Amino acid sequence: MSTSVLDTTLAPADESAGRQTWRAFARNPLGIISLAVLVLLALVAVAAPLISNYPSGYGESVLAAPNGEHWFGTDDLGRDVFAQVVWGTRVSILIGLLASLLAIAIGVLVGVAAAYFRKFDAALGMVVDLSLSLPVLPLMILVAALVGPSVRTLIIVIAVFSWPEVARVVRSQALAVVPLPYVSAAHVIGGSHLWIIRKHILPGVAPVIAVSVVLTTSRAVLSEAGLAFLGLGDPNSWSWGTILHHAQRSGSLATAWWTTLFPSLAILLLVVTTTLLAVAYNDARNPRSR
Amino acid sequence: MKPIRLAAAALAVIAAAACAPSNPDSGSGGGKANAERITIGTTADVVNYNPLVGNSRTDTWVTNLMYPRLTGMSVDGKRTPYLATKWEYTDGGMGATVTLNPGFKWSDGKPVTADDVIFTIDAVKKEKIGIVAGLIAAYDSATAVSPTEVKFKFTRPDGTFLDNVGFWMPVVPKHVFEAQPSVQKFANDSNWVSAGPYKLAKVERGQRYVLERVDSFPLVDGGPKTKEVVFRVYPDVNTEVLALRNGEIDLIANALPPALAKSVEGDSKIKSVKVPSLGWAHMQYNVKRAPLDRLEVRQALAAAVDYEAIRRVALQGKAVSSNSSVLTPTLKQWQDSSAKEYTFDVAKAKTLLTGAGFKDGNGDGLFDGLSLRMIYDQADPNIAKWAQMVRDSHKEAGIDLKLEGLERNTYIAKYQARDYDIYAGSWAIMDNPPANLGLAFKCNGFINYANACDPALDALIDEAQSKVDQAAQKGPIQTAAKMITEKVYDNVLYVEEFTIVHSAKWANFDVQPSELLSIVNPRSLAQATLS
Amino acid sequence: MKATARFALKRALRGLLTLWFAVTVTFFLLRLLPGDPASAVMDPTMTAELRDDLLRDYGLDQPLPVQYWNYMVQLAQGNLGISFRQNQPVLGILLERLPWTLILTGSALLLTVVLGIPLGVLAATRAGGFVDRVIQVGGITGQSLFVPSIGVFLLYTFGVVLGWLPIGGAIDDDVTGFAATTSMLRHLILPCFSLVLIQLGAYVLTLRTTLIDALGEDYCVLARAKGMPNRRVVWKHALRNALLPTTTLVGLQLGFLVGGAVLTETIYAYPGVGRAIYEAVGQLDFPVLQGAFVMLAFAVIAANLLTDLAYGILDPRVRTSS
Repeated sequence: MSTSVLDTTLAPADESAGRQTWRAFARNPLGIISLAVLVLLALVAVAAPLISNYPSGYGESVLAAPNGEHWFGTDDLGRDVFAQVVWGTRVSILIGLLASLLAIAIGVLVGVAAAYFRKFDAALGMVVDLSLSLPVLPLMILVAALVGPSVRTLIIVIAVFSWPEVARVVRSQALAVVPLPYVSAAHVIGGSHLWIIRKHILPGVAPVIAVSVVLTTSRAVLSEAGLAFLGLGDPNSWSWGTILHHAQRSGSLATAWWTTLFPSLAILLLVVTTTLLAVAYNDARNPRSR
Repeated sequence: MKPIRLAAAALAVIAAAACAPSNPDSGSGGGKANAERITIGTTADVVNYNPLVGNSRTDTWVTNLMYPRLTGMSVDGKRTPYLATKWEYTDGGMGATVTLNPGFKWSDGKPVTADDVIFTIDAVKKEKIGIVAGLIAAYDSATAVSPTEVKFKFTRPDGTFLDNVGFWMPVVPKHVFEAQPSVQKFANDSNWVSAGPYKLAKVERGQRYVLERVDSFPLVDGGPKTKEVVFRVYPDVNTEVLALRNGEIDLIANALPPALAKSVEGDSKIKSVKVPSLGWAHMQYNVKRAPLDRLEVRQALAAAVDYEAIRRVALQGKAVSSNSSVLTPTLKQWQDSSAKEYTFDVAKAKTLLTGAGFKDGNGDGLFDGLSLRMIYDQADPNIAKWAQMVRDSHKEAGIDLKLEGLERNTYIAKYQARDYDIYAGSWAIMDNPPANLGLAFKCNGFINYANACDPALDALIDEAQSKVDQAAQKGPIQTAAKMITEKVYDNVLYVEEFTIVHSAKWANFDVQPSELLSIVNPRSLAQATLS
Repeated sequence: MKATARFALKRALRGLLTLWFAVTVTFFLLRLLPGDPASAVMDPTMTAELRDDLLRDYGLDQPLPVQYWNYMVQLAQGNLGISFRQNQPVLGILLERLPWTLILTGSALLLTVVLGIPLGVLAATRAGGFVDRVIQVGGITGQSLFVPSIGVFLLYTFGVVLGWLPIGGAIDDDVTGFAATTSMLRHLILPCFSLVLIQLGAYVLTLRTTLIDALGEDYCVLARAKGMPNRRVVWKHALRNALLPTTTLVGLQLGFLVGGAVLTETIYAYPGVGRAIYEAVGQLDFPVLQGAFVMLAFAVIAANLLTDLAYGILDPRVRTSS
């Protein structure tokens, strides 16, 4: 087929660009450290049962400061904060990742459609801009409160209010890809829209999507923490936000620093490393800052 | 050039706003406490200034200082004189007379009279306003014998009327409220006319409520001691406690969470006051739903709760046992010394459930087909804690308990629809057993969350309500309470002991029961002084 | 000039459309979610008569499209309705809170821009270097902080331990003139600082990226080749162009900022609109919620419109490209 010519001519260039990106990335210590920390966090999430027991029941030493037995101290029911943070990693990352994936799915769909089908662009662009101007956190609070808090609600609520950002980024990247010669060529040879989008547009916006997944996940983790902190978390599961919520309700924010420091640090670690990773990847991809 | 423009615009906004919300009252700067003012922290704004409608805690604290009630309450729940100096039943419980203190004046100079009392109760009855309307079902009409004497007439003998009306009904000025098309819808949000020890002078929503002394207040010699009472809003209890430690506020109106209360015990600049609750914390089993309609199941559930551990750990010892009785130790004159708490016995719970036909067929340690939903208000820090403990001890007994910690509105919607297996919550004020047990346990009672309907129990409560003296009410009420315990219509876990903290600079507060009265009640704030 | 007027008109129309969208979305969101307004105004103790009366008062007995129409008509007259819980006009309730939100977010925005531009320039000109890394990590760390945690820490340190700053609130009682301004500034420091801390990163990083791109553009390369000092190239040429996307970000993030101040306002007891919304959710006070959303959307749209217009007038490319 004639298109295979296009593919093969493009492929080597892509590959070398990929290798160049990776080499540039590997030179940036921040990117590498971030990647390592993220892998570690993912491992903690997966291996939570091996690291500590599920935090349940109660303990007699209430609000004990960090010690040999309880590395991160205990909360106001005498439960181990370390175990909570470990198990919280699981739920926080799960909520963050699923919300992010959902948001990405919607965002990519809208963004690509807007860039590819030009007649929808004005309308879709408007919807995205309009959605971006809504006060997001208050709306999340409202919906979570009315629907009733649960992990599922949190995922959907966060996703529903996060996609416009993704759509905006994807659209602007796709706009740069659509007029490229190989896309026009694909049109000329009669490729179907779906095929062109899958074969040419999506790979073109893939780097942006990758960055979006990472950034949206971290923002979703922060949103979840905020909602949980305001009492809209899932009471039947542990997330970092839930730990902070317990600390806030029991009034130990200022008196038992360990109940807030460690979950806050966990959030910080995740969000910082994901963002740094995204920045490092972007820099590595951009020949100007390589 | 562009950023500078932006900067200038932002500066202009700030400069303009700087002048707008500040107020031109005279004063010498600084919000620090002095003998002139007591500053009280609260976690929420006043929602409604109409004392007959407002029902949040902050509403009550503020309007309590403005609108008198017929009677006050001593620390053991007995009624004390407030607007009324004397009250008694007449005609064998078919009526009552109340004599008013002639010293009370509305802040616009008019005296508080029998007409104001009659106007208020008639408005409550006519417009069915709030909980008071539910408590005065037997009220028929009232007449003013003199400006300081009211005569009430009932449709049936009611020995709970004076306690209920005396404590629950704030008296409002007839000459202000009667001009409104509807008392219930009256916002009462400005030009307040009140008769309590303090009158509301200034409101800055989201920040503070300033009340000024009413010199003529008759219940404290020489009038209230402190010139101003200021309520300041701190939505977060952590910040609120920091403000107390910093000296920015003198008193925290809301009870502190037990763990926090413990942590400030060592601070010499802060004093804690123990305030008994007038209510109790409990779980109620929805007896209209299988399998909770079966007594053995309810008994098994009651045996799968570690009551002692809940009080020790979740409440940090800031609670006492009520011996599983709805007659709590706070109300000593009603308490039944023979009551005994359900024992925590996982084996017994399992035996009872096995006896009721439940099996663990799949060997997962849980009885098959026994999964129950328990709802509670996620915002209540204590319940959120012990609910988890109950879930874990239930699991030991093979009972699967699903917690539904709900956002407040969803919670209210669910319990009003009785949409739960188990309801976990707490009563704030159950000050008068004959009246309260009627609402909470009679068939179709307004707050009958167990959905119980037991004619024998109803008869006992009715009998008590028709008696006019406490001694005669006590017998049937104690029998009713015993029946509630035996049938597990209510599982009373504990009676909380609230910790209210204030700056050690202040003294001479008057402690009254419940978080709503505690040391922020009108008499207490009127008589408090710097120590 | 004609083009400018057309541009302004177009933008104003777009602003109106955005407002309509925000109002419509929140209107239906509030009514289609589980806890509906009708059940929120009613109390199970009420008589049927009173219930009907109340529903009629709030117009809740009408079908949804009629309610929507009535609301839009009301809104056009500047009427935001009456609060369910407080029985007072919503506009008054919110206007009491709005100045504080404007002060807090306005000052935070200003500081962010003032600090963000030099930091962004510094990072971009030293891209890949140590200073760049420090700024990046610092900015990102700030962005990732959880406001309540940092808030309590700051309050404890500066309020209780050091005793330099007040704990919570926006202004002391009974202060006037100069004392009022100082009191307000003292209350503003910590919440404003927290907001700056969490949003500075976004500005610095965006500016950094766009500036790096701009510096690679031909005109910058040319200017440098012609011997123009690097500093002049950055500040005179590259920054002018890099500021455009950054300003767009300011506009876009405004909604996020105003609404996102909920946590800050809660922990610092600051009496802004964000907190009013959170409280109204707790009380299911639908008219207040709806009104607050309208007001926030209006503020954001107005601010965006102003930045847009300013830019359109200053930079002809924007005018033609839109």
